[in-house]
Amino acid sequence: MADEACVDIPPLILGDRTPKDVTADVAAPIERGASKSWWVAFIVALSLLGVGFAAVWYQIATGIGTWGLNKTVGWAFDITNFVFWVGIGHAGTLISAILFLMRQKWRTSMNRAAEAMTIIAVMCAGLFPVIHMGRPWLAHWVFPYPNFRGPLWVNFRSPLLWDVFAIGTYFTVSAVFWYFGLIPDLATLRDRTKSKIKKAIFGFFSMGWSGSQRSWMRYEVVYLLLAGLATPLVVSVHSVVSFDFATAVIPGWHTTVFPPYFVIGAIFSGFAMVMTLMLIARKVLNFENYITQRHINAACRVIVFGSCVVGFAYTTELFIAWYSGSEYEQFAFLNRIRGPMGWAYWIMVSCNVIIPQLLWFGKVRKNLLLVFIVTIFVNIGMWFERFVIIVTSIHRDFLPSSWASYCPTAIEVATFVGSFGLFFTLFLLFCRFFPFLAMSEVKGVLEKKGGHA
Amino acid sequence: MTSSSNKPKYWMSPAELAPPLPAPKEVGEEAVRETGAWGRRTFLKATGFSAMGAFLAACSPGPVKKAIPYLVPPEEIVPGKAYFYASTCGSCTAGCGLMAKNRDGRPIKLEGFRGGNGPIDRAHPISGGGLCAAGQAGLLGLYDSKRFPAPKNRNNTLTWNALDAEVKAKLDAAQGAVVVLTSTITSPSTQARIDAFLEKGANRRHIQYDAMSSSALLDAHELAFGSRVLPRFAFDKAQVIVSFDADFLGTWISPVEFSDGYAKGRNPSAKDLHMSWHAQVESGMSLTGSKADRRLVATHVQAFEILKDLAFEISKRSGKAIVGLDSGKSKRPDDVKLLADRLWEAKGKSLLVSGSNRLEAQMLVARINDLLGNYGKTLDISSPSFQRKGRDQDVGALVADMNAGRVSAVIIQGVNPVFDRPDAQAFADGLNKVDCVICVDGSPTETTAKAHYICPQPHFLESWDDAVSVHGVLSLTQPAIRPLFDTRHFRDSLAAWTGDTTDDRAFRKKLFKDSLPWKKTGAKSFTAFWDQTQHDGAVALDMPSVAHSPWQKNAFDKLVFQTASEFPNALEVSIHGDTGMWDGRFGHNAWLQELPDPITKMSWGNAASLSPGTAQQLNLSDGDEIEVMAQDFKVKLPVRIQPGQHADAVVIPMGYGRAGTDRFSKVGPQWLEGDLTVKSGDVIGVNVAPMNPIVDGRVQNHAIVTIKKTGAKPGLALAQTYGSLDLPEKTAPPGHEHRDIVKETTLVALGKHASDHKGGHHSSRDLDLWDNDHANDKPHWGMAIDLTKCTGCSACVLACQVENNIPVVGRDEVERRREMHWLRIDRYFSGPIHEPEEIDTVHQPMMCQQCDNAPCETVCPVLATVHSEEGLNQQVYNRCIGTRYCANNCPYKVRRFNWFDYSHEDRLQNMALNPDVVTRSRGVMEKCSFCVQRIQSAKADAKREGRPLADGEIEPACMQTCPTTAIVFGNTKDHKSQVAEAMADPLEFLVLEELNVKPTVAYRTIVRNHDEEEGGRHG
Repeated sequence: MADEACVDIPPLILGDRTPKDVTADVAAPIERGASKSWWVAFIVALSLLGVGFAAVWYQIATGIGTWGLNKTVGWAFDITNFVFWVGIGHAGTLISAILFLMRQKWRTSMNRAAEAMTIIAVMCAGLFPVIHMGRPWLAHWVFPYPNFRGPLWVNFRSPLLWDVFAIGTYFTVSAVFWYFGLIPDLATLRDRTKSKIKKAIFGFFSMGWSGSQRSWMRYEVVYLLLAGLATPLVVSVHSVVSFDFATAVIPGWHTTVFPPYFVIGAIFSGFAMVMTLMLIARKVLNFENYITQRHINAACRVIVFGSCVVGFAYTTELFIAWYSGSEYEQFAFLNRIRGPMGWAYWIMVSCNVIIPQLLWFGKVRKNLLLVFIVTIFVNIGMWFERFVIIVTSIHRDFLPSSWASYCPTAIEVATFVGSFGLFFTLFLLFCRFFPFLAMSEVKGVLEKKGGHA
Repeated sequence: MTSSSNKPKYWMSPAELAPPLPAPKEVGEEAVRETGAWGRRTFLKATGFSAMGAFLAACSPGPVKKAIPYLVPPEEIVPGKAYFYASTCGSCTAGCGLMAKNRDGRPIKLEGFRGGNGPIDRAHPISGGGLCAAGQAGLLGLYDSKRFPAPKNRNNTLTWNALDAEVKAKLDAAQGAVVVLTSTITSPSTQARIDAFLEKGANRRHIQYDAMSSSALLDAHELAFGSRVLPRFAFDKAQVIVSFDADFLGTWISPVEFSDGYAKGRNPSAKDLHMSWHAQVESGMSLTGSKADRRLVATHVQAFEILKDLAFEISKRSGKAIVGLDSGKSKRPDDVKLLADRLWEAKGKSLLVSGSNRLEAQMLVARINDLLGNYGKTLDISSPSFQRKGRDQDVGALVADMNAGRVSAVIIQGVNPVFDRPDAQAFADGLNKVDCVICVDGSPTETTAKAHYICPQPHFLESWDDAVSVHGVLSLTQPAIRPLFDTRHFRDSLAAWTGDTTDDRAFRKKLFKDSLPWKKTGAKSFTAFWDQTQHDGAVALDMPSVAHSPWQKNAFDKLVFQTASEFPNALEVSIHGDTGMWDGRFGHNAWLQELPDPITKMSWGNAASLSPGTAQQLNLSDGDEIEVMAQDFKVKLPVRIQPGQHADAVVIPMGYGRAGTDRFSKVGPQWLEGDLTVKSGDVIGVNVAPMNPIVDGRVQNHAIVTIKKTGAKPGLALAQTYGSLDLPEKTAPPGHEHRDIVKETTLVALGKHASDHKGGHHSSRDLDLWDNDHANDKPHWGMAIDLTKCTGCSACVLACQVENNIPVVGRDEVERRREMHWLRIDRYFSGPIHEPEEIDTVHQPMMCQQCDNAPCETVCPVLATVHSEEGLNQQVYNRCIGTRYCANNCPYKVRRFNWFDYSHEDRLQNMALNPDVVTRSRGVMEKCSFCVQRIQSAKADAKREGRPLADGEIEPACMQTCPTTAIVFGNTKDHKSQVAEAMADPLEFLVLEELNVKPTVAYRTIVRNHDEEEGGRHG
């Protein structure tokens, strides 16, 4: 029955919601206060964050040696996590900017939360390049600011520096875009609240939004401009991240396909994470009328598409390695597939290429538990993709004398877990204090009914 | 355009027309100078300055300065400037020359010997210009905080006078024997003091003891030639070298001397195809075996049969049969014939050596050398070596005497029989029955633990000493620092106990004045000769040759050549000296503990090596524990799988398991998951000396054992885990199963195709986007490493560690593959793994290649690694933030990261730090700098003296110390420089040249003296 969507398209928002209902529904979780389940989730998330904080504290106090790295494998969990979180972030920008420009109306039920997810994920991502440094207290040296250390400047040839700019820009633009979209909703909340303090706070952050025709006109224009500005970032950020590897000489890293490969991987993983979150949120926050089967279908289709492209990229890599005739290149990929860390490669392929193919089937897409499980697998698979690229390439490179293995330490695992703690802590705070859906935008896509009310 | 006076001259500004006016004087400034009075501005400046100064000074309490400046500055010492003392290495009895590099009054490095003609004069009559790893590490022995600080008896610290009074009374009153037990004494003056001591009583006797014994070799020459000496071997003159289990490049007798000679005889090029042929008969893979052109893999029992067959064959050819010798039991007629043919062809230019401590074996070797006419040519007993004098039987007799209560006093100097004798327990029990045990030693050993009196011996860097370790060569030792502790030289102790009050200096001078032919050197006076020799470190003297008889006809009469009727179908353990530990004397040396073994690449402990086949059979892999059981002794050891080893052999290095090595338990970082290097109360490695059987009073190095898997897996601390240039079968791309990291050729191929060899690396010079990128007229430093000469001895690794303050990181960190050595030696095996005789070995020193297109430089976000105008890839520690991107992007994986703060808490040990090189803090990257501090220092010297820098003047630490001169360094832009000439050689290649990173370290193709068919074996 899934294909009936093609014949008879159901409305985006179900349950005959009126604009008033929308406002009430969206404001409800904020206004009714924290539920028991929220507290439980929040405490769990906070504990994970605490674990991560302790791990990072210990690692900074003791040294990077508390990670399982060695003279051959200089990056592993750290940069894997970095790329993983940056990738997660991508879906938010894609949904809010690109889908907006393409007038995909179904985005309205997801864009607010997805954007919040982007910002939080980028924060998690940004953590890793800082703590992975041997001397994180000197992290500010990567910024090109006038300094008293002589004519010392940063190295504009280094992809790590490009990362600094790319991630910095991305975070800034995403945050501005998200905040800008929030303004009308914050004003709504301001108008609804009875508490003076809340009124003052919402009033301050809604910047005196009056909802006038003129305000709306300008708002729409700026929103469009910001969407335009954010769009190239979807492509640029992960392209730049991929340069960390693509510009290196290490076989398995030195690959021209990386920019598009990373971008599509990021969108793929981001959508999976968006789905993971949405499937929980619609249940817990009673948004089943807003995040409907139609939305889920659409997102699933994006995931299936991503899965195919990612699979194609994996194949391309293998083909190019063979076609290049380079012995090092060929070895890197054979080692990736059949070497001591071959298991990681096969986890990656199974989770990213094989399992998501289930989403071709309407029955699967309707079974939300199954969809949820698939998205979890994609999240795992995409983490392993980065791990495979980073670790299996460097652990056996040119000189066999230096081949080494890699095994994470408890500190590394705890840091990774801690980044999830950070993510969920912030996301839960977002759910609790911000409108989860973009009310104003959702109202715009309500089916207009003649003789309403 | 032509200029014409008719044309108007255009000007753009008045300045162009007229010369500029003098700048108006600033009123305030000039007023001061002219009037001498202070202007307002100057006054304010001065006020501000003074106030600020007073303010800053008041911010903290003034530091209490305890440094007292020299009232009379010491002669020749310039702060910050290194100076060198020529001296003699005291780490073993080989007597190598060395230069003790001092800075500000303390020795900071031991270097290879250099003569008076500058750095390239590698002129020591014994060691040439090299120094082995163990010798260099002797420096750490000087700064060992566990040294005895003062004389003492069992309980209390004594004064020397009190000790002397007690000891002398006991010695004089001794009823039973008084035995002086020492290592080989090469010092004539010490020998004279011992002799004088012995004269004081008929019950006194002197025993010399070598833990790495050459007893049988000495006895054989006594039996055959009537002269109990070691022959002096000339490996450079030998065209055919056959070694039966003698690791002469590793730890056998005098490895630096032998390596030097060996390399001189093996330096072929397309123009000069001269190269010796070297066959090694051994059961395991030794360092020497790894360089051999032909390895015959045989257990010791089998090797003896091969030797017998070879002796039979040679004696048959020379028509002088050896009585009582049967033959044909080795069942390897082809190999015996090959050896015999080669040796026979090179009569008088061949050399047979054996590491065996069986008299029969050494007699056969001596006989073969004699029949081949090698005596007087490739080995010499008329100008012999005294590097070993020990007689194992004497020690055995001592043990018996002590246990029988016939010994009243023992003076033990510089040996550790309670650790390294197979009958250590009996020795220790015997010592318990001796009334007075006096130990003269620098630091605690198993033997000093048994002493009643301990007389601290100064380190050789603190003492005046002399050595005649080789006939006709006098080497002198001079102190490079005042004694750090209340120590006294053995000679002084002996003098005190003899009752002789002659001052040591006067005693020695008189001795040498009377006994040396110093007048032949043309010196005006003995003092002049002596001072010159002291300055030079060593002198070769024209001494009358040592008399010996010709081959004694009845030499073989007493020998019975037992034949193993059948080869025992059992495992045979083979115990050999360890490159770092030797016989155990360096067990307390952290540098040597961390030095990877050149063959097994293992540090911090020993393992039992098994052949791949045997390991497979027993389902063992690297790091699994086995129990090795000899007749009445068993040990538990981890397994190391060793290609090239006999299936029935278990090979274990000795010298591990020294008491007190738990001092290293806290070496390296301490953290949550970090394991201790050794548990407190435990020891590092296992002592296997008790496994050696004693046959005819001589300590053997092999025994029959059984092994059993225990199921435990203690693991190994390995600096290299994958040992082949052939890729793992599963992941090898078809057609590229072999990594072309090292190039090899054979002597035959070299002769035939000399013109085919082209310096491949010249082609890549053109592959660049820019012409002559950053041209300048500065030098461009480069290095050339000759892989044929390199033996893998690891002297360079240690030299680099000492020179560059490289921290010791401990066992756990090595196991985690985080050792810090800037220079490592990559060791690769090639050939079919289950055919031990077909295995070839490559030793490839690998350090930063100082790439001109360095991949590390582009990726650092903060420019912490940059290129110098002189072609150096520089690491700026202060700027490094530790992203490790550079290390990831390094194709050679030569960058090392400071994962932790490596401790520099041992303040005594810190005296060995090189003040020219900063110690690195946590979180920064480091790597080989081509010893940039030496480059700068040499440049400064040349500039100060107003002369151009000479080629060879700069010697990086690795090059300086290399016993075989395998490393050459210099300016590659100077086409006459040694390094440029080396790089122009057609045999030269660059590692990973195809990446076009343009390394400036070139390697020279390995030339093997294989037959061509053999050489073609590995492509």
